[in-house]
Amino acid sequence: MKKLFFSGILATVAFGTQAQKKIDYVEYDLPNGIHVILHEEHATPIVAVSILYHVGSKNEKTDKTGFAHFFEHLLFEGSKNIERGKYSEMVEKNGGALNANTSQDRTYYFEILPSNQLELGLWLESERLLHAKVENTGIETQRSVVKEEKRQRVDNQPYASFITEMFKRMFTVHPYNWVPIGSMEHLNAAQEEDYVNFYKTFYVPSNATLSIAGDLNIEETKKWIQKYFASVPKGQAINLMRDFENNTDADFEKKYGIAKSKFNAKDFMASTSPEAKKIIAQYAAKAIDIPRPKKDTEKLTGVVKDIVYDNIQLPAIFVGYKFPEQTHPDIYALDMLNEVLSGGSSSRMNKTIVEKKEMAVQAFSFNYGLEDAGVGIIAAIAANGVNLDSIQKEFDAQIDLMKTTLISQEEFEKVRNSFENNLVSSNASVAGIAENLADNHVYYGSASRVNTQLAGYLKVTREDIQRVAQKYFTQDARVILHYLPKEK
Amino acid sequence: MKKIFLVFGLIAPAVLFGQLDRSIKPTPAKAPTINIKDSEVFTTENGITVILSENHKLPKVAFNLVMGNNPIPEGNKAGLSDLTGSLIMSGTTSRTKDVLDNEIDYIGATLNASKNNLFLSCLTKHMDKGLNIMSDVLMNANFPQTEFDRVKKQTESSLMTAKSDPGTMADNAERVVNFPNHPYGENMTEATLGNITLEDVNAYYRAIFTPQGSYLVVVGDITKEQVTKMVAQYFGAWKGNPAIMLPMGKGQFNQGNRVIFVKKPGAVQSVIQVSFPMDIVTGDKNQLPLNVLNGIFGGGGFGTRLMQNLREDKAYTYGCYSSLNVTENGSWLSIGGNFRNAVTDSAITQILFELDNITKGTVKDEELNLTKSSMAGGFARSLERPQTIAQFALNIIKNKLSKDYYQTYLQRLDAITKEDVLAMAKQYFTAQNCNIVVVGNEEVLERLKQFDADGRIELLDAFGQEVKDVKKADISKEKLIENYLLSVSNSTSMKEFGKKMKKVKAYEEKFELTMAQIPFPLTATKIWMTPNMEGQKIEGQGMVLQKTYFDGKAGASSSMQTGKVEMTAEELTAKTKSFGLFPEMNFATSGITYEIVGIENVKGVDAYVLKSNDGTAETFDYFDAKTFLKMKSLTIRKEGDQTSESGVNYSDYKAVEGFMFPHAMEMNMGGAVFSGKATTITLNGKVDLNSFK
Repeated sequence: MKKLFFSGILATVAFGTQAQKKIDYVEYDLPNGIHVILHEEHATPIVAVSILYHVGSKNEKTDKTGFAHFFEHLLFEGSKNIERGKYSEMVEKNGGALNANTSQDRTYYFEILPSNQLELGLWLESERLLHAKVENTGIETQRSVVKEEKRQRVDNQPYASFITEMFKRMFTVHPYNWVPIGSMEHLNAAQEEDYVNFYKTFYVPSNATLSIAGDLNIEETKKWIQKYFASVPKGQAINLMRDFENNTDADFEKKYGIAKSKFNAKDFMASTSPEAKKIIAQYAAKAIDIPRPKKDTEKLTGVVKDIVYDNIQLPAIFVGYKFPEQTHPDIYALDMLNEVLSGGSSSRMNKTIVEKKEMAVQAFSFNYGLEDAGVGIIAAIAANGVNLDSIQKEFDAQIDLMKTTLISQEEFEKVRNSFENNLVSSNASVAGIAENLADNHVYYGSASRVNTQLAGYLKVTREDIQRVAQKYFTQDARVILHYLPKEK
Repeated sequence: MKKIFLVFGLIAPAVLFGQLDRSIKPTPAKAPTINIKDSEVFTTENGITVILSENHKLPKVAFNLVMGNNPIPEGNKAGLSDLTGSLIMSGTTSRTKDVLDNEIDYIGATLNASKNNLFLSCLTKHMDKGLNIMSDVLMNANFPQTEFDRVKKQTESSLMTAKSDPGTMADNAERVVNFPNHPYGENMTEATLGNITLEDVNAYYRAIFTPQGSYLVVVGDITKEQVTKMVAQYFGAWKGNPAIMLPMGKGQFNQGNRVIFVKKPGAVQSVIQVSFPMDIVTGDKNQLPLNVLNGIFGGGGFGTRLMQNLREDKAYTYGCYSSLNVTENGSWLSIGGNFRNAVTDSAITQILFELDNITKGTVKDEELNLTKSSMAGGFARSLERPQTIAQFALNIIKNKLSKDYYQTYLQRLDAITKEDVLAMAKQYFTAQNCNIVVVGNEEVLERLKQFDADGRIELLDAFGQEVKDVKKADISKEKLIENYLLSVSNSTSMKEFGKKMKKVKAYEEKFELTMAQIPFPLTATKIWMTPNMEGQKIEGQGMVLQKTYFDGKAGASSSMQTGKVEMTAEELTAKTKSFGLFPEMNFATSGITYEIVGIENVKGVDAYVLKSNDGTAETFDYFDAKTFLKMKSLTIRKEGDQTSESGVNYSDYKAVEGFMFPHAMEMNMGGAVFSGKATTITLNGKVDLNSFK
């Protein structure tokens, strides 16, 4: 019996970080702009190596959606020094595991390795950053794989399109309008050159955070990082190097006015000819402009109500509200508000809508928090034969109650305890720690938030919770989606 | 000059990005040692085996109380155990559900229950409160009627969602086809859920939740001293019967590939699951090499044969994996993934190719090394979770493994050779006897026939039950019976049939019956004599277990339990309505009510269904629409509010003196399944009704 239809989704938006256990770490920037974070702990002889690239679907052009996620696939295809198909194999062969994921805001790659293979992980990630294979063979294969992924995860899964449908209506200006899986037509239409340009724009050292946690020695790790990452060219010099490696002699000389023979083919940055050094320095000084959209400022002006027909048996309702960006101070109170509404069996929505009134088989609320904006979603899968409008009324009654009446002291204590428990449980694995450190650095401007997040929640008062309910649950400006079974 | 060179030589290695040759893969440092701490194990007086894995990294502790029983068959109440599991948290004699939920959430704890366990996780500082609630639930769960009704209704709704989840549908079908007449093959349906009563739930809970044979796995920030005290305080008073341990079969091994199709209208992908049962149990010495084989084949990662072929090479799918399920009570391999409609058949071809191919020769060294390293790495990574250590201890006890099983795991893994892997493939893998389950759009159906050994695709529903897709019959009931009679008598006209029947005075058949739960064979004998006398008996180990006779006027049945019971007036009347070697020949005149229901698909074959009622029971007979031979018979008898069902499948028709009789059958009597093979079938021999009286 699968009860939690949405456990996966909830897990991904659950609180990224924090623990009572203090996480010690060191961090620094390499001259080329890579931010490095290291956490040392020896409980298990494993180490997690990760790079977060600050590029997600929101950095895509409107006619090239799906690129960020597509790269997540493409960058397993190999590099100049790693044969096609060998990237994963090398990790697995050495007792490691690897994967990657893409959101609207970032693309995240990681390996979990036996600790004696840390250097291997660094080499692999530096290869991915420097000169991954961005070429037609890999592009063709991964295009088909991504299409299958979309069919499997979105098209063929009941209700799975609700994020797409919600965001499409919630954001008409901001690129949150589309979701990371993007458009298959765009991927089909794109040429090799489009992919190469994307790589040259976003896969550059100044856009990368290297976060490593586990059974490591900080000094030794720094040396290896120096070896594999300090040599990554700065600024536009990385693209000069990529062109050097990929272009023909004639094309390169035409573009840069210098022959390829002037450079050190084995170690580009160690080129010794004065002309080569000059042009490298010149390009290193050119910063790469990474396109980032403006923060979302669009206000919903009314109620958008739509029906989506899906291959489902039980109808469902999804109500979306505009929430602020994830770094906004109100997020702590909003998370706690969601916990009051749907955290645990004793939560308000579970007690009334699921248990007492038996209107839904499952009811939940969560904040889909992102860098530029958030979406508060309240949803339920209707019990057999229950009308969605009646569930909507019940949602509204619950929201009204949050707005008009302070939550009880006991309920407040309960929610605080639950956050304490959740935050202690996070940071149980080195992979989780590496990711939390990187996320906090990139989104909140400081990795130290891994140690202060609980304090953020404990500062919230009952009045704060009431206030954010009043502020963000705008009944006259929201998106309401009804999911109904397709006619057979 | 020389000096300068020397200086360069000294400086060069120190230059930060000097001459790094990126084409050289770094060499690993010395391999770290892996230490597996021993868990503490002790047994309580009331029979709980306590396993403790201390880990003080986080201020948390978890208690997992697992019952020691085997799965038990649930028959027409399939889902009883799951439903009970979802009701355990419904309240206790002193706490209503609302109070219970609130108290647990208040300490930020997790307390949940399933059909055979209770699990608590909380901050160590809240341990006392958590255990207090947990032991209250364990000993005083009171299953209120209102919650029973509510959860049952909710479960009904949830069952509907299974119909839209292709993965669940495929799993349901896979279990049914691999494990018929086995608890693994039982799926909850709307009908079986409807049969479950609150009394059933209470009885199940009392039988299963018992300290005897149970395991309490404690993990986290707690000492042995604390555990000993807590266990005595909170579980010391818990009492119960011995754990239920029923023997069960190993699954159904096919002869030839079967294709099983589950319709999912609107699907853009097909879920394909190719599976077969395997004769192995947990702890078997072959388990580890079999794991290596599965790892190479498709068990995980991108480098497996399935992934390389179906994803990386052909791009048919986002992922294709094989999963090896080895349990104490039945084991199977399942291979599958999601494939777009257009490549459904090509994907099956490739999966079967890979299955076959891996039995043909030794794997490459690189493949073996890759999988062994990846398993060794997985083993090391798993040690990060304190639960793993406790699970190891539990496995050692449950599966009677040697004490150092996990300490020596890496050495044993390392010793596995290519030849060992090939031997596993030859012993356990098959590309010829698979169950190929496809959940998808009907448009792919036609292209699947090629994979089925007899070209007949079986249709199952979302819960793995046969699809009753009834079409209108294209012939009358009289014509159906006529065709049947011509067919069984190899006649071309009813006149010829009548002539042949006139010569038949007596009939006797002996079948040998076997049943998984009965260690010795049974003999079933059936006789018939003109005009309307018959007898049936079942014998085993020299004793008559059950017999029935009817001499044309009176009859009785006897068994060791009930003694002799005379037939009732209704039963005697029924005997006058349905009689004869082929009772259908007399339907037109005997006064029985009968009608043709339509055409149904039975195991891939179209069959005419004839419904008849003799006043005591309703019978559905299924006739193959091509051969008109009888394929199966289903009888539903009402006794008060209860109905009992019995069914017989007939096959292996052979001629006996010009008549076609089935020489194999499978009988299902209220959940007990017998397989029968004919030893003798005789026409006009000497028969004696007396031995049936």
